[in-house]
Amino acid sequence: MNYMPGTASLIEDIDKKHLVLLRDGRTLIGFLRSIDQFANLVLHQTVERIHVGRKYGDIPRGIFVVRGENVVLLGEIDLEKESDTPLQQVSIEEILEEQRVEQQARLEAERLKTQALKDRGLSIPRADTLDEY
Amino acid sequence: MKCLEGPGKSCGLSAPAEDLVSASQLEKENEDAEEKEEDEDLDTDSDLAPDPEEEENDLGDPAVFSTVHNTQTGLPSSPGVKTPGVSGMPPAPLHFLWQTLDYLSPIPFWSTLPSASSPVQHFGSQLSSPDPSLSCSLPTSWPPGFSHLTQLHPQHQRILQLQQKQRQHSRTPSSSAKKPWSQQPDPYANLMTQKEKDWVIKVQMVQLQSENPRLDDYYYQKYYQKLEKKEADEELLGRRNRVESLKLVTPYIQKAEAYESVVRIEGSLGQVAVSTCFSPRRAIDAVSHGTQDQDAGAASSQRLLVLHRIEKMFLQLLEVEEGQKDGSSQPCYSEQQRNQTEKLFQALKTQEQNDLEQAADGFLQVLFVRKGKALVARLLPFLPQDKAVSLLLAITHHLPLLVRSDMTDQVLQMLFKPLSKCISHLTFHELLQGLQGLTLLPPGSSERPVTVVLQNQFGISLLYALLSHGEQLVSLNSSSEGPNSDHTAWTNMVVLIAWEIAQMPTASLAEPLAFPSNLLSLFCHHVDKQLVQQLEARMEIAWI
Repeated sequence: MNYMPGTASLIEDIDKKHLVLLRDGRTLIGFLRSIDQFANLVLHQTVERIHVGRKYGDIPRGIFVVRGENVVLLGEIDLEKESDTPLQQVSIEEILEEQRVEQQARLEAERLKTQALKDRGLSIPRADTLDEY
Repeated sequence: MKCLEGPGKSCGLSAPAEDLVSASQLEKENEDAEEKEEDEDLDTDSDLAPDPEEEENDLGDPAVFSTVHNTQTGLPSSPGVKTPGVSGMPPAPLHFLWQTLDYLSPIPFWSTLPSASSPVQHFGSQLSSPDPSLSCSLPTSWPPGFSHLTQLHPQHQRILQLQQKQRQHSRTPSSSAKKPWSQQPDPYANLMTQKEKDWVIKVQMVQLQSENPRLDDYYYQKYYQKLEKKEADEELLGRRNRVESLKLVTPYIQKAEAYESVVRIEGSLGQVAVSTCFSPRRAIDAVSHGTQDQDAGAASSQRLLVLHRIEKMFLQLLEVEEGQKDGSSQPCYSEQQRNQTEKLFQALKTQEQNDLEQAADGFLQVLFVRKGKALVARLLPFLPQDKAVSLLLAITHHLPLLVRSDMTDQVLQMLFKPLSKCISHLTFHELLQGLQGLTLLPPGSSERPVTVVLQNQFGISLLYALLSHGEQLVSLNSSSEGPNSDHTAWTNMVVLIAWEIAQMPTASLAEPLAFPSNLLSLFCHHVDKQLVQQLEARMEIAWI
């Protein structure tokens, strides 16, 4: 029930399955059990989902307590539609391997880019994460 | 299980006795509201496509762990709900008001506004269906008609509507093919108790509380007024049912303690800062003991003084305007308002100074500043006629000065409207006084003030307004009085002004803001034909 008309609240989302995107890029899926005034979340039966290309893998994590400021966004998962996904689920080992490969490829590309720039006398300072000021 | 103390009915069965005690007082009030709601529910039921069955199917939706939600408390005011188990229900007749700070005892809520919007009512009516064990949380079936409360992206809204329609159409086939988890109650549900939910909401509400929502939450209040007006119009136009939209009511919860941030201990030389959870580090207030600067000579400080005066007066003006807004828009001002206006007028005219010239000077200084002009323009409607007239006369006496100072800004125009209102109530004598200032030759100058005035838009508009009013008064009184000094003075002035206008090259004649219709006839009465023709030519050109 919307206690405060005209506002948004997480109260209605309690006990529903949510997908939470964190600031460090992790994707968590779990049942939202509890919140507080800072939008700290308690996620139950949480699964960390790693996506690489068209594949994904779930790592079961149990109970998560997420500090509110680290959440980028969260959204409710429609349980009916949850299985209708074009993505292919793979095992954890496989997805971690895929992730490692992807990470390496990315770093390599980055290295080449910075090298090319350096050769031309340019340097672009990298903002690695959003947290760096 | 604790439940919300809305209309006590819904909570009656499962709530412990103590809850009912506090609810009982609410019941009476809410019963009336409830009866109204039920009527409305019945009325709107026919309007709305979804029927009770659909609701049940929604509840079969796997996203809803329906039976378990019985133990949850939720909808306080859905009529006929036997168990209070509705979380995430749309606010059917929502009534909210925070009564106590103490969340250990169940907190009753209701708002001052009755009822809810019609899409919401349909949910309410669903719940009056015979199955009390079914509760509904809103997965994706959030009513799309809720748009004024929940701003959904239009695409999102379309998707929801589509889903609702699909659910409507497909309820029969899918009733057998229910997903496996829909029947299984969620054993982990309600880890967060209702009390805890209420507490979170309360914390959020406390942060919203405000004594003056029109000031603190201006945009939402204006939005809500627009919404209400639209609904009222809709109701008038045709839709019989009054759809009342919900309003966020900021609660007024007495803050638990009033703390003093700074404590003075007797006999100590200074102050001690007390830190509380509200202000962990409170700076000790510095009290300025500096003497007032008596330097009135320096131009910059003089200007600062004027600006300071204007700011103070503006605050007073805002109070006056606020008082009027709260009350009616008629000029039957309250005693307090009249006092405030009086004080403001005194401040403006600096009446405490005995020297009249200095007083006028103070007023003029205010007028030289753009904000000062705005202040006077906004104050004039509130002033009684005699005070307004004194301001008007001061303005006309110093019109050339004002006009010259306004060359860059050109904001005197804002004064025109309130002044013209004041002019229309002038007496003949006052009018003459005003015009005399303009027509007399000031010492040491060969130019009459009128000349300068005519070249400025505000000046010429004011002049025309004065002349027009004068003509009106004369034509009204023409029968009663014979020729007297006032009339001759009037005639002289009119002739003089006409002559000045005729002398002025048309290019430099400013365009007035409003051209009164009786001016030409006025000039016809007093001036010869040739001059009239000249005037006509000029004024018409200037006018067009």
